[in-house]
Amino acid sequence: MLEARELRKEFGELRATDDVSLQFGKTEGEMVFIVGPNGAGKTTLVNLLTGLLEPDRGEVVVHEEENGSTIEHEITDVPPADRVNSGLVRSFQIVHVFEEMTVRENVRVAVLSEHGRTLSMRTVDDGHEDVERAVDDLLEQFRLEEIQDEVAETLPHGDRKLLDVAMSFGLEPEYLLLDEPTSGVATQEKEYVIETIVEASEADDVTTVTIEHDMDLVKEYADRLVVLHEGRVFREGAPSLLETDAELRRVLLGVDE
Amino acid sequence: MSRFLVERDGRTHLRLMEGMELSRNEALLAVVGIGFLLAVPDIARVTPLSFAVFHQGILFGIAALGLNLLLRHTELVSFGHAAFFGAGAYTAAVLASHYDVSSGLVLLAASIAVATLLALLVGYFVAGYLDIYFALLTLAFNQVLFAFVIQSQFFNYSDGLRVRPDGLNPPALFGLDLGTTAYEIVLYYFTILLLVVMLLGTWKLVNSPFGRALDAIGQDRTRARFVGIPVEKYVWIAFTLSGIYGGLAGGLFGMVQLHVRPEPVLYAFVSGEILFMAILGGVNTLAGPIVGGIVLVYLLNIARFYVEYYHALTGIVLLAVVFFLPQGILGSLPMIGSGLERRRDDPGLFLEDVKLVLGSLRKGVTRAITTVRIIIFGVN
Amino acid sequence: MLGALPAADAALPAIVDGALARHALNGVYYGFILFMIASGLTIIFGVLGVLNLAHGELYALGAFSVFSVVGFLTGLIAEPTNTVTAVVFGIVVLAGSLAAAAVLLPVGAAIEAVFVRPIDDRDEVYQLLLTYGLLLVLVDVMKFVWGPAPLEAGVFRELNAIPTTELVGISYPSYNVIVILVGLAVFGWLVWFFDRTKTGRIVRATAINREMSTAIGVSTDRTFTLVFAMGAFFAGFGGAMVSIGPSTAYLEMGLDPLVLSFVVIVIGGLGSLKGALVGALLVGVTSRVVTPYYPQLELAAPFILMVLVLLVRPEGLYGTWGEIE
Repeated sequence: MLEARELRKEFGELRATDDVSLQFGKTEGEMVFIVGPNGAGKTTLVNLLTGLLEPDRGEVVVHEEENGSTIEHEITDVPPADRVNSGLVRSFQIVHVFEEMTVRENVRVAVLSEHGRTLSMRTVDDGHEDVERAVDDLLEQFRLEEIQDEVAETLPHGDRKLLDVAMSFGLEPEYLLLDEPTSGVATQEKEYVIETIVEASEADDVTTVTIEHDMDLVKEYADRLVVLHEGRVFREGAPSLLETDAELRRVLLGVDE
Repeated sequence: MSRFLVERDGRTHLRLMEGMELSRNEALLAVVGIGFLLAVPDIARVTPLSFAVFHQGILFGIAALGLNLLLRHTELVSFGHAAFFGAGAYTAAVLASHYDVSSGLVLLAASIAVATLLALLVGYFVAGYLDIYFALLTLAFNQVLFAFVIQSQFFNYSDGLRVRPDGLNPPALFGLDLGTTAYEIVLYYFTILLLVVMLLGTWKLVNSPFGRALDAIGQDRTRARFVGIPVEKYVWIAFTLSGIYGGLAGGLFGMVQLHVRPEPVLYAFVSGEILFMAILGGVNTLAGPIVGGIVLVYLLNIARFYVEYYHALTGIVLLAVVFFLPQGILGSLPMIGSGLERRRDDPGLFLEDVKLVLGSLRKGVTRAITTVRIIIFGVN
Repeated sequence: MLGALPAADAALPAIVDGALARHALNGVYYGFILFMIASGLTIIFGVLGVLNLAHGELYALGAFSVFSVVGFLTGLIAEPTNTVTAVVFGIVVLAGSLAAAAVLLPVGAAIEAVFVRPIDDRDEVYQLLLTYGLLLVLVDVMKFVWGPAPLEAGVFRELNAIPTTELVGISYPSYNVIVILVGLAVFGWLVWFFDRTKTGRIVRATAINREMSTAIGVSTDRTFTLVFAMGAFFAGFGGAMVSIGPSTAYLEMGLDPLVLSFVVIVIGGLGSLKGALVGALLVGVTSRVVTPYYPQLELAAPFILMVLVLLVRPEGLYGTWGEIE
């Protein structure tokens, strides 16, 4: 289980994250969606959890099952790369891929890293068969085989988003934090992107935390809903809240009904 | 197909080792290149080619090869690699003149060791910085070292030290006390041997997963961090590795010149030159920095004996490379090859080239004149 | 390195007490010269993203040009014999410096339009190689026009006949005071230009977002050329002020100020004019105050200062990442 304990982050006057306490993955493989109006502190929260930002106060904690008992690891000061290697992985709202590499090379870097192979001195195409097999599997899973030799910067936006997500899954995450995986993706493809993510995370029992603006997708796929508003947790519960809670609707729509 | 020849995409490739294959053209180029390097001492005997300067060029080229590891893969511009070259050269000089170490191999090993330690130290401080900050910090360490050496009695100020253990003869090579000519020739072939080893090692390094990780860092640091690559640590390792090249080259340089002074090996502008060698030869090629090293050192050292305005000549060569060989000397060879082929079929294209150059020059000048007019008479 | 202006100290009357203040004033003087070079460098870097390695040569070109221009001008008026004629003389010399720097306007514009622009979309390393090539060419252009020997305009002593500092009770060369005042004026003008004029705001907008500026109809090409020409102008002005002052114009004079200007803009923060001024004064004063007491630190002091600043503030004192402020 991944836990945020009273996380706080201020940018000058603005308190972007205001004593947020949340738990993700109480049930293994749950799919949590974070929603909220612009400026609610969604991305800041993900940045704090993954170590891109340091909190002003509060803790990030991972609970792990070991020999039948639960052990707490406080990871607030652990650098991002180490968090990734222990299973806390993220994607970005603005696509971050290795622009001059091909799709295959992009995925390969992630898999090499996951296999702890990045200090190996054997050349890439010599004796890393297990890595190549894992790359093949990922490319197939995310239906990227056909464009595997194309250079990332030349791809259309939707494919870049998928590549970004595929790389994240290549890191074999336990917790995967996705910052708007469908932003900028054409409406008819959004479903496809989320569907692919759901399939992949169900296959590996990955707990996902997804920031999403499309409420239809949230209603359809969320196990649990977290609503942030002005840096605080405004609501937490079943996705049906979106239908029933008038005040919540008002906050999300940003208008008085 | 034998062990050394494999088919790839319908073309025959030469296979040197597991995972290392050269296309026909690459293999041809490599053979011609190495053949030429081996023949240089003989060529120099019958032509005005300066053997010593050529040797120097190769050594600076090796330093540039190391710098290119950072430049090409992590995309970091170092303005301070003379520090490692100089550290290597001065290590050889100090051991030879202060401690009478006469074995060339010991001098070289010590040069590499000292440069490595220095690169470890500098790398620790600079690994977290980017762009011009990285460039200027490396420059700063370089200049501080230069200032320290040139003001120190131990290093004999700006006069420098001699690399003659007994004050007279050059160091011994492989246990042999050689005469001047034999010493130079043996050292040259030893350099070529080391050069080939360094090139193969570099090839292996950049094609290993570690090389990929460095590429990843260069292309998107944030993403690299979030695929679990410890960015600063890897930059630090790469920086240290690249310093080793400088140390090796510097140590050999000291043994070749037999006299080490601060300006030619440690001054900040030497760092700049090492950087420009890599770019000149072709950043995106393996052996480009070597070619760049030879060309630039040759221009800077020899041109002055032939033309009064040798700076301008060097500058014009560099400008020509920037505009007409966009991938550097070696990197642009494939482009030139196909371009020449087309022009052989259709000589009229040459005329078009000339028109293109003149046209763009004229356009540039017109623009400049317009702008000056605007500056003086205000925005219209 | 810092010996670029060696005669500055020698030309001063030896004052035993107040030596520290004198060194500090020399530092301020030197700082303003550095500011004139560094401001252009930082603006060019901020707007075009080009690290102009030839910038030191533009400074040197200004120094050589002023020799010709002032030599021409001073042939026209009488040598100064009293305060009034000295003031007149000073004005003529200043005008000469401006005229010499004006030579740099077309030079800078041409460099940008002919050489830098065509490789705008290429990797930045080629811009380094290009400006380095230009540096080498410019050195030989100066050698061709003015010859290899150093030149001295030699009007410094006459200008010191203007008794600027005697009113406040210290004796300090008037020429240096003039340079300090001119440097302040340059800073003021630049701030006014970027803050208050339409063109200045356009330049700033281009620095912040190139695409956006193009979208609202700004010609980025023209902005770039303008910026380059301006940068060249101030470098040349700095060179001119040095050269008619206590120092000579010589072929290698551009190298050290170039490296020190890098230090200045990194200390101050890239693209920050205020940073360039503070950085230049810090570097100037540090090197001039430290050198007399710890001569062995002369070469290293600016760099040690830079490392210290970067360790504490990695983006410099007023770092705004490329935005002109």
